[in-house]
Amino acid sequence: MTDTPLDFGDPADLNRLRTEFRTWLAEHPFPERHLDEPVPVFLHRWHRLLHSGGWVGLDVPERYGGRGLTALHQVAVSDELGACGAPGVPRIGYLAHALLEFASEDQRLRMLPRMLAGDEVWCQGFSEPGAGSDLAGMSTFAERRDDHYVVRGQKLWTSYAQYSDLCLLLARTDREGSPHRSITAFALPLDRAGVTVRPLRAANGDDEFCELFLDDVRLEESERVGSEGDGWPLAMTTVSYERNALDTGHLSKYGLLVERLRSTVRERADTLPDGLRSEIGQCQVDYEVLVAHARRRTAERLSGQPAGPESSVDKLLMTRAEQRLYETALKVFPEQLAEDGGELFGEYLYSRAASVYGGTSQIQRNLIAKRVLHLPSSGRP
Amino acid sequence: METEEFVLVRDLLRSFATRFRVGSADDVKPSLGAAAQEALGELGLAELRRSTPPAATVQECALLAEEHGSLPLATSLLGTALLAPELLRLVGVPAAPGRTPTIALARDLRFPAASPSPLVAWDSEGADEALCVLPDGTVTAVGLGPAAPSVDLLRTIRTALPSQHVVGRLDPAGHLRWQAYALIVVASELVGAARSFVAQSVGYARERAQYGRPVGSFQAVQHLLADATVLVEACTSASRYAAWSLDHESPQRALAAARVAKAEVNRSAVEAVYAGMQVFGGIAQTWEHIAHLYLRKVRVGATVLATTADLLTVLAEPEATR
Ligand SMILES: Cc1cc2nc3c(=O)[nH]c(=O)nc-3n(C[C@H](O)[C@H](O)[C@H](O)COP(=O)(O)OP(=O)(O)OC[C@H]3O[C@@H](n4cnc5c(N)ncnc54)[C@H](O)[C@@H]3O)c2cc1C
Repeated sequence: MTDTPLDFGDPADLNRLRTEFRTWLAEHPFPERHLDEPVPVFLHRWHRLLHSGGWVGLDVPERYGGRGLTALHQVAVSDELGACGAPGVPRIGYLAHALLEFASEDQRLRMLPRMLAGDEVWCQGFSEPGAGSDLAGMSTFAERRDDHYVVRGQKLWTSYAQYSDLCLLLARTDREGSPHRSITAFALPLDRAGVTVRPLRAANGDDEFCELFLDDVRLEESERVGSEGDGWPLAMTTVSYERNALDTGHLSKYGLLVERLRSTVRERADTLPDGLRSEIGQCQVDYEVLVAHARRRTAERLSGQPAGPESSVDKLLMTRAEQRLYETALKVFPEQLAEDGGELFGEYLYSRAASVYGGTSQIQRNLIAKRVLHLPSSGRP
Repeated sequence: METEEFVLVRDLLRSFATRFRVGSADDVKPSLGAAAQEALGELGLAELRRSTPPAATVQECALLAEEHGSLPLATSLLGTALLAPELLRLVGVPAAPGRTPTIALARDLRFPAASPSPLVAWDSEGADEALCVLPDGTVTAVGLGPAAPSVDLLRTIRTALPSQHVVGRLDPAGHLRWQAYALIVVASELVGAARSFVAQSVGYARERAQYGRPVGSFQAVQHLLADATVLVEACTSASRYAAWSLDHESPQRALAAARVAKAEVNRSAVEAVYAGMQVFGGIAQTWEHIAHLYLRKVRVGATVLATTADLLTVLAEPEATR
């Protein structure tokens, strides 16, 4: 990481964008979630509304349906959403980056504008029952036959597959070779014959993740993303971006809750114990540090540094902020524990997943030790 | 400064630090401190914030403070070269010819409170007076008494004499700027210390062998160092962003960011040094080893200007304006 001054953007330019966005938001109030409407469906409506105003994919080049601005503009939009209590930016940043880097020009032109518009919803099919942390151990196999592939296997934890149109699928294309060269990525349409999607109920009651069964599914060569064997670097790029709170749109979600906690400090000045007050202060510190960190990493990215293994640092900081925040929120609003089923409690449960999804905290530490600090290896992995 | 120019200045400070670094606590002697301070003075860094507009941005000053913290140095870069000149600049008063001021803090090393006694001249190597900012923005100059003992062996602290005269007054925006700048500069030095000490412990973990392999190959040690790295990066992001904010945003926003940075550093720089010491094992617990010089610096630094408790109380409340 750099030790010379960083350019965090031109505040005047970013403020103009903020003002423009605030005006738009005032004219387009965010939708109400209908009774019993699943969260992904609600968020999808929000996604389309944001896109209609040009507020999705600010840092994606215009020819792929974005606005060709910088990632710092994307941060400003995320900030504004958090500040006004709206749902976050659609979580497509990391998938878009993977396609930008690995897909063919033809695929980029075809897929990215539809992804940004919300016309096609994507999910991520990496994990398997036997390959969680150790992705290299995956066994889903795509067998090449002339001009197409036939895929067999099973995926697990595929978030929101039941609401998705396409899956960024990883499968082995070579039984022999090193995993780092024998895995290939595909854009799998989920309505293809042989695909079965079975939702699993999560601890918080949501049906976020799914099992995916693939029985002799035919995939065309044109549905392969990148070259054969590009799956590993593509997966690493995807997760690098997925580990930055900025790219997943989590920042605004945290900001909103921190603000809610801070306003109770004012409202309940007489009854709030001192210990809890400083815990809220600590949540504010964690959150603001995360924002500063996301900005710094964004500025470094704009100065030409790739997301790289340092993104494991981002993920651990994000986890730290999220888990303390929801832990504190339950102390500030203990009625959430008594009433069971409150939305906040559901989010608290989900905060426990922060140290698991996108690579567990232990895996992030392994990556920092090996790839950032270059400590000696203890064998595999 | 242009980046190339900044890199040049930073490299000057870097080679100065390598030359004058303290090898162990026994090296900390008044004569050595004076020689090092004189050599530091020759680098001319006190000029960086003296003119208006200043020759160096706050971000650049913060990076220099990081650099100064990275090796054990007994010089007063913060007090005499960065803080006092900025204070005089904000007040609009030129430095008195031949005088080298540092800054005065309360005895507990926090920002001075309303009744300004007793004070100490903080970071006073090579200084002959100290500037004190009262809560209403009045800036006074105080004379220096004898050295006061300090836990931070690298930092000279002297008692301040009661005699004082008013140098000038900070306007409200200037006062916010001053607090933000001081918090940023102090936090940045601690970031540099924590970063460098963790890097040294990583180097040690690569070399030191037990059970026939480097201790850095054990996952428990790797995770300790990975966590320390996360803390150092958090401190770095917070302090560099706060510094940039002071260059570009309103003083209110910059002060909020500076408080966040100091709060993060108070907690995490100390934790990171603990992790590094653990990795060094027994050797880090000896007087000869530099580990305790770093620990002393970050542990005392965590109370300088504003403690964690001071900061969290303020940060828990929503700001009046956004
Ligand atoms: C809410 C949620 C959403 C998800 N969404 C998706 C998705 O959309 N797409 C997708 O592909 N996957 C998804 N996942 C899967 C996620 O990536 C995996 O759960 C994760 O990588 C861990 O794998 P595992 O669950 O098999 O645990 P395991 O790998 O079996 O790990 C079990 C424990 O062992 C530890 N461990 C394992 N290996 C090591 C090691 N080398 N060193 C130290 N400790 C180790 C782990 O840290 C963990 O504590 C999701 C998971 C969750 C919880």
